[in-house]
Amino acid sequence: MDKNENRIALKVALIAILTALTTVFTIVVRVPTPIKGYISLCDVVIVFSAYLFGPWTALITGGLGTAIADVIGGYSQWAPFSFLIHGLQGAVIGLIAKKASKSGVVSDASLLSVIGAGLLGTVIMVGGYFFVGGLFYGFEPAATEIPMNLIQAIVGVVLGIAVTKTVRKAYPPVRFLTW
Amino acid sequence: MISSTFVSGKGPWYVFDPRAKLILIILLCVEVFLPVPLWGIYLLFALAFVSLFQAVGLRMSFSPFKAIGLIIFIMVLFIPFTHRTGTPIIVIGKTVLATQDSLLQFATHTGRFITITYLTTLFVWTTRMNDILLTFRWFSLPYSAALVITLTFRFIPFIAETFTRIQEAHSLRQSEHSQSKGWNALFDILPTISCTLIFALKSIPHLAMSLEHRGFGSSVKRSSYRSLSRGASLFTHLLICGMIATTFALLIIL
Repeated sequence: MDKNENRIALKVALIAILTALTTVFTIVVRVPTPIKGYISLCDVVIVFSAYLFGPWTALITGGLGTAIADVIGGYSQWAPFSFLIHGLQGAVIGLIAKKASKSGVVSDASLLSVIGAGLLGTVIMVGGYFFVGGLFYGFEPAATEIPMNLIQAIVGVVLGIAVTKTVRKAYPPVRFLTW
Repeated sequence: MISSTFVSGKGPWYVFDPRAKLILIILLCVEVFLPVPLWGIYLLFALAFVSLFQAVGLRMSFSPFKAIGLIIFIMVLFIPFTHRTGTPIIVIGKTVLATQDSLLQFATHTGRFITITYLTTLFVWTTRMNDILLTFRWFSLPYSAALVITLTFRFIPFIAETFTRIQEAHSLRQSEHSQSKGWNALFDILPTISCTLIFALKSIPHLAMSLEHRGFGSSVKRSSYRSLSRGASLFTHLLICGMIATTFALLIIL
């Protein structure tokens, strides 16, 4: 078995595990917010995937993970849209971080560029759900979801960056998993 | 954690070929967004509801409402603020709460939303996850992508359980911050998230090795997904589904 074959198995394993993490963090991990609501932490894994493994991994894991979570959670009508919105969110974050990195390695990007990428990802996520919500049930009711989506996405960016830094320090072999 | 959406029941929806079912659901979801008269949308909703009721029983057939109840409530609250034009219908004092246009818009949006919800629920509740995956394979989903989905479903319960265990272990060691609320709660969960991620990442090399042992990536394949049959039943089911979608489309046009 040559090195290329080995990488294919690693890619599939990496994407499957990150997708499962995104699904679990969407459904199971819910954090109470100060305004008596709950937010899911799927964006944390999406930012983590984008920052550590690049745009393509984040595109697939972010999109697929949230779509599966929607199907399992009883919101199957949202699944195709979650796939597109969160997939695009992860891809854009990863792409900007990659472009901003001098070495071309996503995880070497500066903190400022990662924050900028995260904010653009936030706009995509919030705007995407507002647009689809508007098509589904009108733009006025859809606007009520903007604040919670905004909080969720910003928390995702902040925690995602923090978690990435922590994981890189606590588990250095993670750099061998990148492709 | 339950990671399957299949609900056992009886009726034609369980017998239908999943490929035909998927095509029908997509067609009907698209048709709902065409310039359909209101009665057409609610006719389709009634059919979807009756189908679900017939498949899984009365109690279960109401449960999709729980998932969309809050958003419908918000839509009701927004009626006075949308479409101020048209004949006033509900007026309190000098305040117009609802006009004919706003009620029509509310009814249309609600009808579309609940119809799509029931149609998609009908599909995922009456089709086994294996059949959904094989359907996607039949529609040319690559082997690697199908494998990723299979492995994801295999690892979801494992990672969910890992997270719960790590969270419980961390809660034993917390002191004053253990009951923290508000924004602190968000940052208190950080160690648990990091541990779960590292735990999951550590399993990647082992999983990759297992895949290689099973021949994945090798030129000589040792395993593959089975194919759904291409028999006469598929043609019949596709024909039936095509007829349902066309009948509904003709009802709209005429």
